[in-house]
Order: sequence, then structure tokens, then C-alpha cells
Amino acid sequence: MSTELHQELAGLRALGLLDEAERRDFEAEIAAKPELAALCHMFDNTVTHLALTAPAQTPPPELKARILNAAVVPPKAPVIDFPFLRFAPWLAAAGFALTAVWLTVQNISLRSENAAQQTERRLAEVAYRSAQAQLAERTLVAERMVNDLGSRLRRSEDLARLKVSALASLAGNTREAQAIAVWDPEQQSGLLTFDGLPVISDEQDYQIWVVDPAYPNPVNGGVFHVAADGRVSLSFRPDQPIKQVAAFAISLEKKGGVPKAEGPIVLLGKIPSI
Amino acid sequence: MRAPNETSSEERGAEQARLIAAMAKGDKAALSTLYDQLSGPLYSLAMRMLGDAAESQDLVQDIFLQLWQTADTYDTSRGSVFSWSATLIRNRAIDRIRMRQRRSELLANAAPDLQPASLTGAADSAGSLWLREKAEAVRQALDELPPDQQQAIEFAYFSGLTQQEIATRLNEPLGTIKARIRRGLLKLKESLPHRL
Repeated sequence: MSTELHQELAGLRALGLLDEAERRDFEAEIAAKPELAALCHMFDNTVTHLALTAPAQTPPPELKARILNAAVVPPKAPVIDFPFLRFAPWLAAAGFALTAVWLTVQNISLRSENAAQQTERRLAEVAYRSAQAQLAERTLVAERMVNDLGSRLRRSEDLARLKVSALASLAGNTREAQAIAVWDPEQQSGLLTFDGLPVISDEQDYQIWVVDPAYPNPVNGGVFHVAADGRVSLSFRPDQPIKQVAAFAISLEKKGGVPKAEGPIVLLGKIPSI
Repeated sequence: MRAPNETSSEERGAEQARLIAAMAKGDKAALSTLYDQLSGPLYSLAMRMLGDAAESQDLVQDIFLQLWQTADTYDTSRGSVFSWSATLIRNRAIDRIRMRQRRSELLANAAPDLQPASLTGAADSAGSLWLREKAEAVRQALDELPPDQQQAIEFAYFSGLTQQEIATRLNEPLGTIKARIRRGLLKLKESLPHRL
């Protein structure tokens, strides 16, 4: 017989509201008592019905085509009907022959694989050196931009105009990353310099957001990827006019970026009001 | 003797299980049929939780592709295809809501004037007739609950909040919220069919 406490736990479990410790203890109890498992099943079924109480909405017609196009049919291995017993001796002989051939092929393949790996390593070294050179080139460009901004900073009117913000890493995300943002409201462009930003997968990009109270959502400032050493210097220009910068944020998004931030924010910096 | 709508539910469940089995063999037509049957309610659930059309479409796409890729792991003893899909949608929507909450807190902290985008979404008719009828019955059952129980259950299911957050949001002690959820679910159980 179920108690009120069990009913309460079963309901909260079905709604996914138990905390980790409660869930673990209750799962252990369910495993030992079949009547509790039945109670939970009943609550799970009741909770599933709640999905249907959402106001009816129609997905756009193109969504179906998008899903069907993205659903790739996995290749299936052909199934061959083979009367095994009749051919058993031949199979054994063929097996020996195949094993011998396989061992020979393996020997040759390992040798060529070794050579291929050496070639690959050399190519990777070349690619790495080339990437380093490109990065150095970009850093030079960024340094020139910083110098340029610096020379302009010497003029008092520019000094008052430029907004500078140090972006802080957010706990649990990119503790070691450092970033500085400089924003020129007149030119509607900015400069960002990062150090120690974690390397991300090829399917992801970092995305720049400019927080302006004039807009309900942060304004997209473009995407960037990070080099192996976590250093990046880049200029950016938001895709909407910025009236007042309150903060800069960097989020981790899918490749190419998103119109509205979806992923976790890894760096955030407020612009101090002057 | 079984009620006609219970038989219909079982037949519908068996048909969807057959579609999933066909999808496991790479049958895209089965995916297309399952989409026709389930996309309406699943999209509605995503919209109710996320309040954003683009995010809801992404989520529905992710879940149908997950069904397609993991169709061979479907186990009929663990519930209907709709239950499976709705659970996947809800869990993934809760992940997005929690990420969004963290992002909103951070940005609101940076710019206190910023307000989160308001929930949108006009009602529209969609989904199979079977699910629409079913939905009507469930809504009616939910409406028959006392308002405090209905509110606690809706918060618990759609908001993605924790027990404590629900209690804080509704300005009630945690024990009261738990009791309302328990009593509300017990009443719902009595008025809903055995299996969806």
C-alpha cells in the first residue's frame, strides 16, 4: 500500500522535480518494491498527458522537409543466405587461405601505414607552422589596430569617446580566459583581444554580443573561432546601430552563430558609466 | 469490456510502434507519417515551454532526428511513442530554459533595464484528430482541479523550475506545493485514461 509520502515522491519523480539524493534513494526503494514501481508508472502516465494541455500550435510547413532532408538513411550490410553445413570444409579452407592473405595484407598495410603516418605528421607540422604564421600576421594587424587606437587615444576628445571593458570569465566556464573590449561609438565598431580562451570544436563558434538597453535582446557582433593557443585579436561591428553600450558578452554557439543567443555565456564585461 | 477510446489509444500506440520499427529499418515514409501524427502536439509543447518559434522548431527537429537515429532502441514496455517523444521534448526544453535563465540573470545583471522577451504564440489547430480529442479531455480534466493544484501542476510541468523555485514563485511553503502536486495528480489520474 502506498503512503502519502510515496505518492508525493512518485509525483515529483514523474515531473522530474526530485533532487539527485532524493531520486537515488527513491529509485533504490522502487527497485525493492514492485508496488512502488506500479505507482510510479501510474504517475508517469498521468504526467505524460499534461503535454497535451499546451495550446495547439502548428509547426511551419517547411519544418517537415527540413527534418526529412536531415534524416540520413544508414547504410545496411547485405544479408546473404548461405547453406553453411554443405560448404563447411570449403569454408574452412577458404578461411585458412583468407587468414594467410589477411596476415600478408596486414604486414604490407602496417608498413605503408607507418610511412603514411610519417607523411601525415610532416604535413601537420607544415599546416601548424602555416597557421602560426597566419596567426602572427593577424596579431600584427590587430597590434596595428591597437596602436592606431592608441595614437587616437592621445587626442583628448577620443579618450572621452572610447569605451573600454575588461570581460570576466564566468565561473565554471572559462576561468582562465582574459579579454579586453574597446568600443568606439562614433565609428560603431570595436576591438576585442582575448587570451586563454578555450579551444572549441569545429561545429562551434564564439559569438560576440553587445548589450544595448535600447534593444530587447543583445545585438549580434559576429562570430569567431579561436587558435590553439587561445589568443585572438579582432575588430567587430554589430549588425544594428548601437545607441548605448551597457556590456559585452561572448557566448558559445553553433557554427556560424545564431540570431539570438542560445548557448552559455563564457565572458561578460560591463561598460563602466562615466 | 474496454471503452472504445481506450481501444483506439492502444491501436494508435501499436501503429506508432510499427512506424518506429519501420524507421529503425531506414523507412523515411514512416518518419513522414509519424511526423504528421506527432509534430503538432510536440511543437505545441515546445512552444508552451520555450515561447519562441525558432527555438521550438530547432527542438522539434532535434527530437525527430533523435527518434530516427535511435528508433531501434525503442522499447514498447516503457510507454507509448508519444510519451517517449514528449519526455524527450520536455527534458530538452528544460535544459534550454535553465541555460536561458542563467543567461538572462547574467545579462540583467549587466544591464538591469533589459527585460526578457515576452511569451508569444497564438492558438492554432493542429495535430491528428485523435490527439486533439485527447488533448481536449486532458485540458478539461485539468480545468476541473482546484485552481491552486492546477497552477502548481502547470508550473511543475511547463516551467522548468525546481521544487524550491516553484514554491518561491508561488509564494507558498515547499510542503504546501508538494501536497498540491500530489493531490492534483491523484485527481487527474482518476479522470484520465489508463494509457496515452
